[in-house]
Amino acid sequence: VITPWINTHLLTFLVFAPFVWGAILLLLPDRQAPLAKLLAVMGAAAFLVVAVTQFMHLQADPLGQFVAERFHWFSAVGIPVEYHLSLDGLNFWLVLLTLFLVPLTMVGTWNSLPERAGKAMALFLMLESGMLGALVAQDLLLFYLFWEAMLLPMYFLIGVWGGAERRYAATKFMLFTLSGSLLWLVALLYLAGKAGSFSPAVMAQAVTVLPVQVQHLLFIAFALAFAIKVPLFPLHTWLPDAHTEAPTAGSVILAGVLLKLGSYGFIRFAIPIFPDAARHYSMHLAALSTIAIIYGALVAMMQTDIKKLVAYSSVSHMGFVMLGIASMTVIGTQGAMLQMLNHGISTGALFLLVGMIYDRAHTRRIADFGGVATKMPVFTAMFLIVTLSSIGLPLTNGFAGEFLILNGTFLSGFSWGHALACVATLGVLLSAAYMLWMVKRVFWGPANTDPESGTAHLHQDLGVREIAVMLPLLALIFWMGIHPRTFLVQSEAQVGRGLALAQAPAPRAAVIEAEVK
Amino acid sequence: MTLSPEELSAILPLLIPALGACLLPLASLDKDQATVKWIRGAMFFMALFSLAGGFFYLTRLWASGGQPSYGALHMDRLGQFAGIFVMIAAALAVLQLWDHLHQEGWVKGETLSLLLFSAVGMILFASSTNLILLFLGLELLSIPLYALTATVRMRPKGVEGGMKYFITGAVAASCFLMGSVLLYGVTGSLDLRTIGLALGSASPDPLALVGAALLLGGFLFKISAVPFHQWTPDVYEAAPHPISGFMSVGTKAVAVLALLRVLGAGVPAPGSHRIQGALAAIAILTLLLGNLAALAQTNIKRMLAYSSISHAGYILLGLVAGTRDAYVGVVFYLLAYLFMNMGAFGVLTVLGLVGDRTTFEDVKGLGWKRPDAAIAATLCLLGLAGIPPMAGFYGKYMIFKELILQQHVGMAIVGVLASLASVYYYLRLPVALFLEKPSEKAEREAAERPDYRAPFAGAALLVCGLIVVLMGVFPGTVYRGIARRVVEDAFHLAR
Repeated sequence: VITPWINTHLLTFLVFAPFVWGAILLLLPDRQAPLAKLLAVMGAAAFLVVAVTQFMHLQADPLGQFVAERFHWFSAVGIPVEYHLSLDGLNFWLVLLTLFLVPLTMVGTWNSLPERAGKAMALFLMLESGMLGALVAQDLLLFYLFWEAMLLPMYFLIGVWGGAERRYAATKFMLFTLSGSLLWLVALLYLAGKAGSFSPAVMAQAVTVLPVQVQHLLFIAFALAFAIKVPLFPLHTWLPDAHTEAPTAGSVILAGVLLKLGSYGFIRFAIPIFPDAARHYSMHLAALSTIAIIYGALVAMMQTDIKKLVAYSSVSHMGFVMLGIASMTVIGTQGAMLQMLNHGISTGALFLLVGMIYDRAHTRRIADFGGVATKMPVFTAMFLIVTLSSIGLPLTNGFAGEFLILNGTFLSGFSWGHALACVATLGVLLSAAYMLWMVKRVFWGPANTDPESGTAHLHQDLGVREIAVMLPLLALIFWMGIHPRTFLVQSEAQVGRGLALAQAPAPRAAVIEAEVK
Repeated sequence: MTLSPEELSAILPLLIPALGACLLPLASLDKDQATVKWIRGAMFFMALFSLAGGFFYLTRLWASGGQPSYGALHMDRLGQFAGIFVMIAAALAVLQLWDHLHQEGWVKGETLSLLLFSAVGMILFASSTNLILLFLGLELLSIPLYALTATVRMRPKGVEGGMKYFITGAVAASCFLMGSVLLYGVTGSLDLRTIGLALGSASPDPLALVGAALLLGGFLFKISAVPFHQWTPDVYEAAPHPISGFMSVGTKAVAVLALLRVLGAGVPAPGSHRIQGALAAIAILTLLLGNLAALAQTNIKRMLAYSSISHAGYILLGLVAGTRDAYVGVVFYLLAYLFMNMGAFGVLTVLGLVGDRTTFEDVKGLGWKRPDAAIAATLCLLGLAGIPPMAGFYGKYMIFKELILQQHVGMAIVGVLASLASVYYYLRLPVALFLEKPSEKAEREAAERPDYRAPFAGAALLVCGLIVVLMGVFPGTVYRGIARRVVEDAFHLAR
């Protein structure tokens, strides 16, 4: 009975099964935490297996859509709300990334949560539901619902299992995100009232007849909500707090998937619905992205805490993603799509590694380490590979993404496009500076012999479990670096169509598309 | 005088709980009742039984589509909705009262009797179209509540709160009466429809405007809108938790429903745009004051009181939008509010907070002791904050939608910003329940207290949490099946 149902309702299953499973696990008492953890991991792994086996059989239709579910859900106050889920080129890899990162993170942080680990795992599954739902939702109200539903599990993950300042960080995270999304809701309702629907395509048509100023205001409301999530400078201040205070698993998911929903929202909704306004503001977005790249990198360089350094590097990397999107070229947007995956994997891996060393040393201060390479050679090797990928060394994933983005920025046709691309390239250089400097201080040199130091507490190298978690991530880093096309081919046509509307009549547009193909 | 079957069926929903209310004090004639458990059980059962009787009678009436009336008492959909609403609220309150009164050590039959009388008054208030009957309903719902506020006499603030409520309530009631008198003087009728017609046709009489404004003041007091809100925090803090919950949802809902009836009949006709403008200003002020003051509270019940004020603001925004769809949104909102707020007050009982120990300090870390109740309460609170997919979101969604469609975008923005602030204070309870560790003093005190599981209140809370989620998953069903019918049929009758 179940298998045929899954075949026809694959997306509904993937979106709601984690939630249901999480809700069941929530009922297990705390003393059953090991069992709950085991069941949670098995569940999450099963969802991944179901997804992979099913996705392999899927064929994209001419619109790039693999599978969809659509029916009327309710209509209150005259505007129909549809339950419309669809897997297409834009969300294909992000869905897989989510499904992949959740079980991996659970295994990777198996022993990191001191108490009530079962409850945390259950919340993770619920968070997974929210993220997947937001990724596949096509109706904007449905998207909004999932978007908000993601907040709560994350709020409690940070608030209950976080570090010393967890309440501050969790509340800040909540209020920042909500302040953007509530204003966005007003814009959404206004637009839905004009369009009589929550479907992005219908909305895009309705937008064309609105006055330009209204279009701009609506776009700003959309962009604000998404930019807070990304987070784009100067709205990023919640991120370092949330990352630093969150438990390792929370940081991985936050960096890995949650932030992507902001940039995904730009690609999926904001730009296709408001092509003219988007073009009008693309220059501003690109400038803010470039500032984010440089600012994030400079602040990362000054950090004394490894986790905080990685958090600020996130700001810088997401700046690249936004730069690619703001270039409004196919090549730049494709680069952004790739960079979203890259960042999910590299930064996710970095947070996992930082978590592993923190579990041993109970400190994350760079000054507490030194000479870790002598104590933990395997860990060092893995950390180094991930570092290089984060810097964007050729043959690793970071290079492919950043290259496409910078290429797109050069071709963007902004008056300042070349200058921005040059400055952003400087950001790549800076990322090498802050990452390698940190690696030098933590891993190289003589072992820190102070018995109070972090290095002194490192007695074991990575265990089998930890290596097993890292290997798939490392494999992906190289795969995406060597053959990025695997991850680009699904979204190509759709990105092109989405931008075709918004495309400035630049003569090079056709050339760029030809180049990408 | 004989009653026709239709007339009887119109007043039966009032008679059933009234009968229960009259019989209940007989059970507490026994002097030693505090020690006899079965008498206590029988009293609560009797109260629940009469509420259930009224509930089932009304749901059958609703299903049959009959809309009987008896003189100026209209048991139409609006009245039936109010009746069902009040029965549910009262039943939840009775369940919580069993546990709360046992925790307080003050189990008396009069409490339940007063509760039922108040419920009768609420139904009367929401289902009459005659100013005198409205006034009767208003008094019948209020006077038992004054007494209920002070019902647990040894609570230090109980008597003070009851007294405050009584005095301010009396002022509001005289406002209401004075308004009725002026309207009667100008139009020569007490019937809402006749008054509405007379006001609509006649040239605006300033006296009628004053009358309508005074009448409105009476309603706004019951809704606890600014500037008639000052009683709310003190009274909610003083009353037993289930009573606070009951009056916060019951009084507000029937006042709004009766106001819908009054507005639907076109009563504030002279210079109605002026009334509309005043309503808009009051709504915005209520929103801002409620939400901002709630931020600063340390006592959970006072926080919930200010939150209740802020919800009055959202509901008034719906009335400002003034379209039929907005009224439907208001009815939906009220229904969601019933379960969300009964749940929010219910958790105080489930966690065994008695007397003045209702600060955030007192509940630190208790969530892990009663996770089921704390999770259900969290769902209710998130619903109050308007976070999807809880029911409260859709209420706000419908009201804001209509506001925006009516070109009141500015008000909608103020509304969402206010609800952003509300997220902060609603989360403070889950934060205290789950995120914080109990202080040593609290742990020591908890160890000294007998462990009381509060089974009935717990069950009521779980029901609330479940319905808050279900209403969020199937908003269309509630919207079509209940809210829209209430408004349509009520307006059909009033016009």
